Amino acid sequence: MQKIPKFIQALLIVFGIYFGFILVFDVILDHLIPNSLLNMYMFFIVAGVLAVYTFTEEGTRELLAPIKSLVEDPSKVGTRKIVFVVVPILVAGYVFMQLLPSVEAPLELRSIHPAPPSTVKIYGKRYDLRTLTNPYRELEHEDPEEFSDMVEAGADVYVRNCHFCHGDKLDGQGPYAAGLNPVPLNFQDVGTIAQLQESFLFWRIATGGPGLPDEAAPWISSMPVWEEFLTEEEIWQVILYLYDYTGHEPRSFEE
Amino acid sequence: MITLTPLKFSRKLPLLLPLFGAIVLCLSVVPHVAFAAEGDVENGEAVYLKRCVGCHGIDGDGLGPGYDRLVPPPRDFTSGMFKIMSTAFDGYVPQDQDIYEMIRLGMPGTAMPGWADVLSEQDMWDLVAYLKMFPGYDEETPGPVVDYGEQVAISAESIEIGKTLFLEDDRCSECHGDEGKGDAIKRLLGDNGERTWPRNLTKPWTFLHSNDPKDVFTRISVGIPGTQMPSFADPASKLQLSIEERWHVANYVNSLAKTVEVVSAENTVVKSHRLDGEIADDPEDAAWQEATPTTFFLVPQLIAKTRHFTPSNDTITARSLYNDDEIAVLLKWDDRTLSLPGDEDAEKIADSSIYEDQVAIQLPVNPTKGAAKPYFVLGDKERPVSLWRWRSGTTTEPQSASVEIATGPQTPVEPSNQTVQANGRYESGTWTVLFRQKLNADHDSALTFAEGEFIPMAFAVWDGSNSETETKHTLTTWYWMLPESSSTALPFIGAILALLIVIGLEMLWLRAGARKREAEA
Repeated sequence: MQKIPKFIQALLIVFGIYFGFILVFDVILDHLIPNSLLNMYMFFIVAGVLAVYTFTEEGTRELLAPIKSLVEDPSKVGTRKIVFVVVPILVAGYVFMQLLPSVEAPLELRSIHPAPPSTVKIYGKRYDLRTLTNPYRELEHEDPEEFSDMVEAGADVYVRNCHFCHGDKLDGQGPYAAGLNPVPLNFQDVGTIAQLQESFLFWRIATGGPGLPDEAAPWISSMPVWEEFLTEEEIWQVILYLYDYTGHEPRSFEE
Repeated sequence: MITLTPLKFSRKLPLLLPLFGAIVLCLSVVPHVAFAAEGDVENGEAVYLKRCVGCHGIDGDGLGPGYDRLVPPPRDFTSGMFKIMSTAFDGYVPQDQDIYEMIRLGMPGTAMPGWADVLSEQDMWDLVAYLKMFPGYDEETPGPVVDYGEQVAISAESIEIGKTLFLEDDRCSECHGDEGKGDAIKRLLGDNGERTWPRNLTKPWTFLHSNDPKDVFTRISVGIPGTQMPSFADPASKLQLSIEERWHVANYVNSLAKTVEVVSAENTVVKSHRLDGEIADDPEDAAWQEATPTTFFLVPQLIAKTRHFTPSNDTITARSLYNDDEIAVLLKWDDRTLSLPGDEDAEKIADSSIYEDQVAIQLPVNPTKGAAKPYFVLGDKERPVSLWRWRSGTTTEPQSASVEIATGPQTPVEPSNQTVQANGRYESGTWTVLFRQKLNADHDSALTFAEGEFIPMAFAVWDGSNSETETKHTLTTWYWMLPESSSTALPFIGAILALLIVIGLEMLWLRAGARKREAEA
């Protein structure tokens, strides 16, 4: 098999990774990767590729051979003329686009699952989130009938309060989800409630968006402060429902 | 909401094409699966109990625990009526396929999601079988499907004929309005006595099924059971339409879909264009026509006390212009009713109490530092917001505009020492309100709009005929406004410099190469 020239190899790797990112994020996950992030990744990838290919002097020579021959090989005058005209135009075009005033909305980064405080005051009481457990969880084994009543009560709370944003299917795609930013969490996803302890959910539900620490951008969260609408019992019930409907298990403190 | 997400083709296109080809190839080799003839009622019940009772209720009567917070209310299966039906007039039993499709695709514009991603085809057919067990469903076999005749292709001519039929004798316009925006002159009720609003035909994403001409043809032919939308195939009706005429009307309805003022995920910044001269009052003025429209989703205020569950509107469009003296924001939103407290006709259409229509623009009082912004629902103590609020007036009071300072959803607003001018106009189901504020006015806390700097902006709308007042309204989250920089020569200078530098480097390189060859020779 003929060996692919190193120069072409390097180009293939760089562009392959570039389009790979776009394929995975923009197309498959349908979640546009921000340009600034993509540029940063590509900077490291180009640097890495250069480092690998120029590790030995021979490698460097091989990598640069096509470029050298373009300038020095008399038989390549035609290609040279074309390349030498196209490259400056591309660079000038890029600079022009970069200098145009940006109308892209500023990027807002926020932590989705911020670290919880160790204690929190809800309903006028202080809760220790490191030891707090769902008081109805034990019913699952002790009194399955009572437990399923509790789950059902949680379902009622959910459909009256939560589905507008988090959706009937708990997939974060309720009827008003499209109008919210950040988008409501998808509980079906293995990266949300399946990774969390019930005490974390209790904190997040009871204190809502305004109860978030600053790194999670509390000012844009649409999560209501449920302490104002629901009783403590209702919050624990709806937590049971979230796990029951999705089939996820809450994380426990022992893990 | 699929219709609303524009594909971002620019970067994806080269990747999508081969993918698309692969999908088409796969689909063409998979044989079509035949429908399950008889669903399994027992499994249907199990699925129903897990997925459907929250809204439709254990007894299928549409009285699940969430029913009074949903608009439209969940279907009452014991009524035996299904809104999306393709059985020809005057049949009243839906085709199994109709029920199946409602489960599979859901009902856009309502809380009913499509279930195809969660339930198997068999599960969905089992559900159909179970729904038919509720009392009220007539066991008779459904009558024949609507006669579609020969479909009339969409054309300017067909749309024109459709428009004439739409308006003739107020056939459709009586409820849907002259421009199809559902600006009601009638108070409509559903089969359980609930308030219903005629469809705004310019918003296809709110159609219970779709605005495909064939679907629209079916609705016109059958009507929408459980609502006041009648069948126009009814021979007893003075407004009856022939098959061909119904295709023309369907094509016209399809053509009403908004194309410009729709939500686009890529356009979340209200770009304020710079003008050298005066900013016109008239929205038809050329400068306003050229200003980029940016449309946002409105969601009901479900966050702070007292919550609002029954919105009547879902989008608002903003444009902006500025010059040396002032900044102007033009807002447009569809509202089916001109809410004029004191006016007899307006009060007849309105819910029990009528209030003024209102709109508000929300801005931070102080420039934002870093990422921190005021809380998007009326700000907070640390970071207050200004509200530019316009009210539509009553029979005795004229329209009014004011600036208020808010420090949170539960704190009363306070008057600001700023002023703003606003004027509204209601026409064919759309409010257009123009706000103006003097720049650099002598205010203590005048907000500074600076060229090229993003400023957070949010909106709120009240439909006074839909009981919307105080905390009951629709709102957007924070978006941005950007007063665009006046054009400068910088990008051109930069580009020319870059061009010269690269050419210079090329020349050096060529000369070095030439010298090397000489030396070798």
